Amino acid sequence: MAKVTAEEMRGRRSASALSRIFTSRTTTRRYLLFLLLIAPAFLLRIVTAAYPILRTGYLSLTNTNLITNTSDFIGLRNFPAVANDFGVQSALTFTVMLVVGATILEMILGMLVALLLNERFHGTTFGRTINLIPWAIPTVVAGYAFRWLLDDQFGLIPNWINQVAGIRPVVFISPVSARIVVILAHVWKDAPFMAFIFLAGLQGVPTDLYDAAKVDGANAWHRLWSVTVPLVAPLAITMGLFRLVWSLGSFDLVLGLTQGGPGVATSVLALEIFREGILFFKFGFASAISVVLLMLVGVIGVIGLWLFRKADVNY
Amino acid sequence: MALRIRWRRILLYLTFLIFTLVVLIPIYWMVRSSLAKASDLIRLPLIYFPTPTLRNFETLVEQIPFFDYIRNSLVFSVATTFATLVVSFLAAYAFARISFPGSGIILWVLLLTMALPEVGTIVPLYTVLRDLRLLDSIGGLTLVLSSTLAPFTIWVLISFIKQVPYEVEEAAIIDGASLPQIFWHILLPVTMPGLVTMLLINFVNAWNNLLYPLSFTTSPTSKTLSVAITEVFAGYSPYGKPWELIMAVGVTMTIPVVLLVLLSQRAIVRGLTGGAIK
Repeated sequence: MAKVTAEEMRGRRSASALSRIFTSRTTTRRYLLFLLLIAPAFLLRIVTAAYPILRTGYLSLTNTNLITNTSDFIGLRNFPAVANDFGVQSALTFTVMLVVGATILEMILGMLVALLLNERFHGTTFGRTINLIPWAIPTVVAGYAFRWLLDDQFGLIPNWINQVAGIRPVVFISPVSARIVVILAHVWKDAPFMAFIFLAGLQGVPTDLYDAAKVDGANAWHRLWSVTVPLVAPLAITMGLFRLVWSLGSFDLVLGLTQGGPGVATSVLALEIFREGILFFKFGFASAISVVLLMLVGVIGVIGLWLFRKADVNY
Repeated sequence: MALRIRWRRILLYLTFLIFTLVVLIPIYWMVRSSLAKASDLIRLPLIYFPTPTLRNFETLVEQIPFFDYIRNSLVFSVATTFATLVVSFLAAYAFARISFPGSGIILWVLLLTMALPEVGTIVPLYTVLRDLRLLDSIGGLTLVLSSTLAPFTIWVLISFIKQVPYEVEEAAIIDGASLPQIFWHILLPVTMPGLVTMLLINFVNAWNNLLYPLSFTTSPTSKTLSVAITEVFAGYSPYGKPWELIMAVGVTMTIPVVLLVLLSQRAIVRGLTGGAIK
């Protein structure tokens, strides 16, 4: 690789007279270097993200099925089929429930845990250490662990509840309780991560603000609402947004915990796509569901950005 | 005044206790179940501390290609981590040091792809990998996952690289250093904390990944532990689901990453939060 001169590297940012001499050859070399450096990453993204997205769109308009070996263009006819599919209907409903419910709970609990870990007491280091465990554990393993933990016959929790209240809850038979459990398990897995983000944000709040508030007579509750919350709010909203969008693709936890059951009560879009596409090889149909998911990502992303803009302006 | 402080303290410790229990109980339950005899697991009242036995792990080794799965998980995780880091470091350097009108937008577009859920493209990816003859291969899995992990890694590395004062590189350039030399002798040593952080985070992500191995592998040549646990779950034992085996696989998957994370938590937290805050 040829030597690169200092002017070429600095580009616009330097004020030195030398660097203001921009020959077209210099700029071209910089440009080429840039392209060369980002090429591997971009190539990867194009092959595994950009092209597949477009291809998903195309496939959703076909009846591609690897088993029956069809691949004809059928226009939008997949979409009514998708809309009428009972599994997809249920998955769509629950995906939205899960995403919204879990994210809200994760933000609240994450904030609470962050406040807890921000205090000064003996267990803080221990607390921050074990806070990483839910993040580290493989999601599918957590799913199976919770399934066994809540087993109505030999699981820990139902047996404890039985000893205390005399009833033995059967969590996974009822759609309602199954859905609640999935949401709570999701929160267990992800709230600690939120807690870390919030903790970093909390630690960035300058202590003089708290002191000033104390002098003005604010108690702990007041201080929380008038100092902490406004300063951590932008961070919270950003993270909430990311979490919302990321959890739209939630797959592992449901697979381990309920496999979508009972029936399809706890199925999520990701599970339906996987089932129809990878298990049944109904590529056209599965791509149509994927399109629905991607549109959901787009809609929620846009709503989130709009909310963020609003919060930013007010703040 | 003293009474109020006491009150607050009690509440604090109580909350902390609840927090600790909630986090650790599932782990305890998993470990306890993996070390128990199958018959001990279906006894009531519950046996909280069964006599430990490694029988379940022996069964796993006997009945499924357990070591192949472990090997695959390891190779996949290491390969993905390495590939992601290399690709991301090059791109991060470009974004951090070379700017021109439009480079910001290019970066923004790259980061935007982080919003894409893994499942969203899984159907065409199957065909892509099949056409590249990368189905049922760790190489194929590495390709896909390192692409997924790259944007976040690039984002974090950009902020680490920007912390290196440009004057140092400038001096090296004036002395006649080439770009690879700058990377190796200057940037790598100084951004090492950031690299180690992303190394750890990406290793954990790769090790835990389920969707890609589940979708694109068909044999023990490339199936990973995450696939293994779903297969064991599909099995049956005289007592119903073989929970002792399922939990044993779970423990095998969990203990290494938890240990890794506990030993390097500061580095990991710095990476996770650094990317988010900036």
